[in-house]
Amino acid sequence: MSTADVVVIGAGLAGLTAAIRVAESGARVHVLAKGHAATHWGPGGIDVAGIPAASTPRDGIRRLAGEPGHPYAFLGDDVAAALEWIRPHLAAGGVEYLGDLDTPLGLVPTSIGGTRRAAILPAGQAAALAPWAVGERLIICGIRGFKDFWPEAIAASLARERIWEGGNRPTSVTAVSVVLPGLAPRHNLNALTIAGRFDDPAWRATAIEAIARAVGSVPGSGGRVALPAVLGIREHAAILAALQKRLPAAPFEMPLVPPSVPGIRLYTALRAAVIRAGGRVQIGEMIERVEHDGRRVTAVVSAAAVRTYTVRTGALVLATGGIAGGGLVAERDGRLLEPLLGLTVEAPPADDWLLVDAFDPAGHPLELAGIRTDAELRPVAADGASLFDNVRVAGSLLAGQRYVRDRCGDGVALTSGWRAARSLTAVPAGHAAEPGSERP
Amino acid sequence: MGDSHAYDVLVVGGGATGAGVLRDLARRGLRTLLIERDDFGTGTTGRYHGLLHSGGRYVAKDALAARECIAENRILRRIAPASIEDTGGYFVATPDDPDDYVDGFQAACAAADVDCEEIPVADAFRAEPALNPRIRRVFRLPDGSVEPWQLIESNVADARAHGSDAWTYQRLVGMERDGGRIVSATLRDERSGSVTRITPRFVVSCAGAWSGQIAAMVDVTVTMHPGKGTMLIFNQRMTDTVVNRCHKSSDGDIMVPVHTVAILGTTEQRVEDPDRYEITRDEVAALIREGEKLFPDLGRMRLLRAYAGVRPLYQPPAEVTAAAMKDGRQISRAHTVIDHDAMDGVENFVTIVGGKLTTFRRMAEDTVDLVCAKLGVTEPCTTADAILPNQVPGKTYWLGHRLAEHEAEGGGDADLLCECEFVTRPMLDDFLDRHPGCSIDDVRRGTRIGMGPCQGGFCTFRAAGLVGERARRVGAADVAESADRAILGFLRERFKGTRPIAAGRQLQEQWMISGVYEGGLGVRSLIEHETPEASREVVDVHR
Repeated sequence: MSTADVVVIGAGLAGLTAAIRVAESGARVHVLAKGHAATHWGPGGIDVAGIPAASTPRDGIRRLAGEPGHPYAFLGDDVAAALEWIRPHLAAGGVEYLGDLDTPLGLVPTSIGGTRRAAILPAGQAAALAPWAVGERLIICGIRGFKDFWPEAIAASLARERIWEGGNRPTSVTAVSVVLPGLAPRHNLNALTIAGRFDDPAWRATAIEAIARAVGSVPGSGGRVALPAVLGIREHAAILAALQKRLPAAPFEMPLVPPSVPGIRLYTALRAAVIRAGGRVQIGEMIERVEHDGRRVTAVVSAAAVRTYTVRTGALVLATGGIAGGGLVAERDGRLLEPLLGLTVEAPPADDWLLVDAFDPAGHPLELAGIRTDAELRPVAADGASLFDNVRVAGSLLAGQRYVRDRCGDGVALTSGWRAARSLTAVPAGHAAEPGSERP
Repeated sequence: MGDSHAYDVLVVGGGATGAGVLRDLARRGLRTLLIERDDFGTGTTGRYHGLLHSGGRYVAKDALAARECIAENRILRRIAPASIEDTGGYFVATPDDPDDYVDGFQAACAAADVDCEEIPVADAFRAEPALNPRIRRVFRLPDGSVEPWQLIESNVADARAHGSDAWTYQRLVGMERDGGRIVSATLRDERSGSVTRITPRFVVSCAGAWSGQIAAMVDVTVTMHPGKGTMLIFNQRMTDTVVNRCHKSSDGDIMVPVHTVAILGTTEQRVEDPDRYEITRDEVAALIREGEKLFPDLGRMRLLRAYAGVRPLYQPPAEVTAAAMKDGRQISRAHTVIDHDAMDGVENFVTIVGGKLTTFRRMAEDTVDLVCAKLGVTEPCTTADAILPNQVPGKTYWLGHRLAEHEAEGGGDADLLCECEFVTRPMLDDFLDRHPGCSIDDVRRGTRIGMGPCQGGFCTFRAAGLVGERARRVGAADVAESADRAILGFLRERFKGTRPIAAGRQLQEQWMISGVYEGGLGVRSLIEHETPEASREVVDVHR
């Protein structure tokens, strides 16, 4: 048994952002999550509104806010504030983010040889975003024996003008591979094991020399070098600085299939910020049930390995994610459920969830499903009536957004987490959160 | 106009039957060409539950079919052991199965020469703890599971060793008839569009559910009753033994463990066009409800996808009855060799219809006996005795064989590209070496990459990378397009068959994978700019 002012369920960008802000207000916050969230499979940037029509994230927010039911309709004005608020927290955790809402959305090359629209990126990826000068080269540097990064295929794809939408792009794209010390005979390498090696200063000194030799073997000068996103976790900033100093071309990381090292750095920095502010983060807690007394949630009960664990709480932030995260559960009979509180889920009929073509540009209608809230992020019923007074919903559980197709999931998560915290803490003193101690 | 080639026999349709007919003709000294409009085994053969029949499912109502099944079961175990997993089979009596059927089952098996032994129910529960605890009797029969694509490859390899040919992606677009004879056939290459003319002495149609379309090219009517069978793939083997309900065969009454997954079959539904059909959520729900009578926890297990095959059911014109028309299941599964000389006045054309994968060799033998009689060839059939190429006598497939072979070679250090199905980089390299110009879908059937629980989410990208790297090495002009096709084709193929099962953990996994590819990896940038050629693989959305 434990007591908190606010329990946050979910340890993704939304939940951890809410937790940092709640903790900073002086309230006791516990984050409970069954596992890691979308941070671990996303590219590690902060995608606010990467839609093709938008020139900048701010323009994208404006356009999305005009779509019926999009959370930006009530969150859009706070995205800038939330972003500037989180930036120093992330920097303190070793990951610096560059770009803001007025940074032009540009095409960033990806590790399947495609491009994606982005503006706000961690420093390790930011070099990809600058406009390409005439004659500028791009070198794709792979690691021999690493099966999640294929430089030849990436280079061949990125050499095509159409992948860059016919616009600004590198003049040449070349692939090289490097043998890193102690890795070649050890097959079945993954991004995490290589990142772990980079954190070792002696090993990385040799590795960086090997990369410099491979890059140096490509004729020409200047330009940029794309490396798989494996450049350390704890020591990432130092590794990036050493590479920038040693290489003849500006290095940047390309995010990979999961586990995402840039995403893990983001998660690590967020978690550290919660703890610095006095909050607790517990991963591996399967939530068994949320207890409530009428319109107020009173406790969260989770099942860890050998015991149930009860946290009495004054308020709840529900940041359990969408379908991928398990915040929404699709039943075989076509119902879509929110399993913890049984909240009303706004969803299309089951026969319309998915379109016939996997990549139909219209996007699968199911992506819009979620929980509808009022402007304070309190969940509401189908008729718009609020259901719980001390519950806030944040992140991809919110209805009305296409978090993947419209690349707005990070912006919604960040801003809704930030706003949920404000909503729970910015009420008159003494009511910030019903003290759990009143319910021993 | 393209090339012209002369052959003794042209075989149309590269399923198991066509491959068996090709092999038998080749072994009897006839120079034969097999053509298939897609890859081998992409029609009914590859859309099948994987059961090697003991015959037990037919003993009560089609003893002839049962007798053929057990005979061929014994032959296939001898000539193609590597394509067979000797799972054994249970026929279980649930509380829903009628006593009279169960009581008469052993006698019916004995009458059809099908080995059948009743075992203590407790033994079955010990072996397969996921079984319904209310099962009251269990019979053990020699069912197994069979890998259709490898079986076809072995048959084709044997035919090639005997001087015959087999071409994939060649669609038969027309046949020219001169009075009572077919004199030529025109093929179109489905990838290059080039046209080839074949002048055969004889034509055998092994087009299964598509036989009517082939026969119509020479103004012959073959009325097929394509029967759609829907199957569900689960992400785990909740049973290592084939499990059948002990009753008159019906929907959702068989579970077959196949490689790393298990397949629940099937339904039976008439369809008009074998290329166009849908699977509905209701059908899936009904199958699971029936399947829960075998495995009560089935509803909570993760479904990977739903798919359907079209059975080549044939009704000889004279025997059409109103009752049989209503229920496809009452049409005999035993096969029919249609002699179009006697029936329709086309002297060098036969069609083989009906049957099932287990009896494909026997179907081929009966067909080729007729062809040889007409061509004056007296060589006897040897396909039941000669072990197929790349097979080791007595050594059947087992689930751990890839790992075991790998360990035997020293283990440990291979690039494991597909963790689910244990496909290594050397295995994929070897397949690509042997199949120049193949599609990523061909790679999937050939190696099982992407067929396990992650359904290609992680290995897709690696397969595409390897394809790109290889294309680059040989200086191919379309390196990037090859990789695009690999990634997009794979993701699309895996998406098919998930709409009617979108729920639970499968939907969760699918959503995560689409988030990875569409989000961080920008897969849409490849789609928005893909060439028409690269999008070819999405055309047949129902398959």
